[in-house]
Amino acid sequence: MKILIPLKQVPDSTVRVKVAPDGRSVVTEGITWSISPYDEYAIEMALERKDADPSTVVAVVAVGPARSRDALRQALAMGCDEASLVVADAAAPPVVARALAKVVGEAKPDLVLCGKQASDDDQGFVGPALAELLGWPHVATITKVVPADGGFELWREVEGGHEVWKAPTPALATVHKSEKEPRYPSLPGIMKAKKKEIPERPLSALGLDDTGPTWTVLSMEPPPARGGGKILKDGDAKQIAEQLATALRDEAKVL
Amino acid sequence: MRTLLVAERKGSELRRVTLELAAKARELGDVTVVEIAGERYSPLPFVSALAKKVESEKPDLVLLGATLNGRDLGARLAARLGRGYAADVTDLRATGNALEVSKPMYAGKVRAKLRVDLPAVVSVRPGAIPLRGAAEAPRIERIDADASAEKLTFVKLAATASAAKRVSLSEARVVVSGGRGLKGPENWHLVEQLADALGGAVGASRAVTDAGWRPNEEQVGQTGKTVTPDLYVALGISGAIQHLAGMTSSKVIVAVNKDPDADIFKIADYGVVADVFEFVPAFTEAVKKARAS
Repeated sequence: MKILIPLKQVPDSTVRVKVAPDGRSVVTEGITWSISPYDEYAIEMALERKDADPSTVVAVVAVGPARSRDALRQALAMGCDEASLVVADAAAPPVVARALAKVVGEAKPDLVLCGKQASDDDQGFVGPALAELLGWPHVATITKVVPADGGFELWREVEGGHEVWKAPTPALATVHKSEKEPRYPSLPGIMKAKKKEIPERPLSALGLDDTGPTWTVLSMEPPPARGGGKILKDGDAKQIAEQLATALRDEAKVL
Repeated sequence: MRTLLVAERKGSELRRVTLELAAKARELGDVTVVEIAGERYSPLPFVSALAKKVESEKPDLVLLGATLNGRDLGARLAARLGRGYAADVTDLRATGNALEVSKPMYAGKVRAKLRVDLPAVVSVRPGAIPLRGAAEAPRIERIDADASAEKLTFVKLAATASAAKRVSLSEARVVVSGGRGLKGPENWHLVEQLADALGGAVGASRAVTDAGWRPNEEQVGQTGKTVTPDLYVALGISGAIQHLAGMTSSKVIVAVNKDPDADIFKIADYGVVADVFEFVPAFTEAVKKARAS
């Protein structure tokens, strides 16, 4: 079985993201980059399948700037078998989806797992769009995949539980969480990953049509500053509780 | 601007976000509200039915609530029809032949304004557009999901043991979340009782869901849910940057924590430096009293 995971490199979740002087992008100098968290869950989910069946091949691909090779290397160190990069500096999401459709056509995976959204633009477009371009069904925001007769059982988290769907092979799912936390690369994993080749090609080599609708960032700003809050400390727990309840009712008007 | 709004229900009730969007769409111009009738959401039958409707009505804008299903349906619909797309926006306005939308990016650490070409598909975050006064129930046209487009088979619904009859976390007007300060799942009645007194939903920090104290679906923060309630109460939560990203847009934030230096106090409107075990029962009683009088 072959599982393919498209991944995106994004600022690490611990980075205090700052708006750049141009007012329409974020500061990227000197920041730590990582695999987008939901893509990391997708990788973990695929590696859990590989743990259960060592013949499983787990491949990762990125369509993004050259620095994305670090994220691919990280995925190899976690235990993925293959990685490849389509170098594109600022491809629009519909173009990324088209590029990935080409890659899927070549790699012929049985299952494609996409993080449900990248933690930079938080759009969540590419996974469903890729399924649409391939003409495949997809199941959104899964937390578990189990191989089943001729396909996969995909567990989807909904309000109050999980829906279980059966998808025929090949299938695509977007991933919300893996059962376990994403594994850290092992030392032998890191050594092995260093020796692996990551084939690269430019987006232009795929001969894509890059027309279509766009969405453009006009401006960015930090969220409105909060603060200047009150600390309630006069009296015992009961008195403070009453002051707080009264303030929420009469001052903040949220009760 | 002509808008096609996709209505969504929870049980038999229209979701609040549908009413919020109906009001917004009326501000923008003409609106048709459709509901896709099917036993449960599945991408292909829903996209297929909706795409046919969009092709015949040709609205400038398709609006959906940025719910679990709305976000998925919107993305695949935009891809099928080659429309512009923005997800989880918090505001939108028309500017000539384009839309200008506001949306959180970088998991809420940045607010961005985007220009989206029309025609477009846009999903809007529940609670982002305030409902003024009594919500007018829109007239709804039902269209059938296209069962012939289905390629999946529904197997079963596996209910979560703790599935409570509370409001949904993403849409709740009040959220009470518990963190590691609660010390263990056996103490969650404190969070639940306060949530019930406030008529709100229960959330949790990532430390808590990772430890298996509470189900993943209750996680608030960067890899969990982003919430924008009128009132967010953080109990025993220190306020890691990933948690703050998921709740910092709440209208009023209350924090209760033993540690006076906890980061959560930097964004709280009301802070109480106290032991949750001592303070929360007293606060629950005070809330009941304040709401009764």
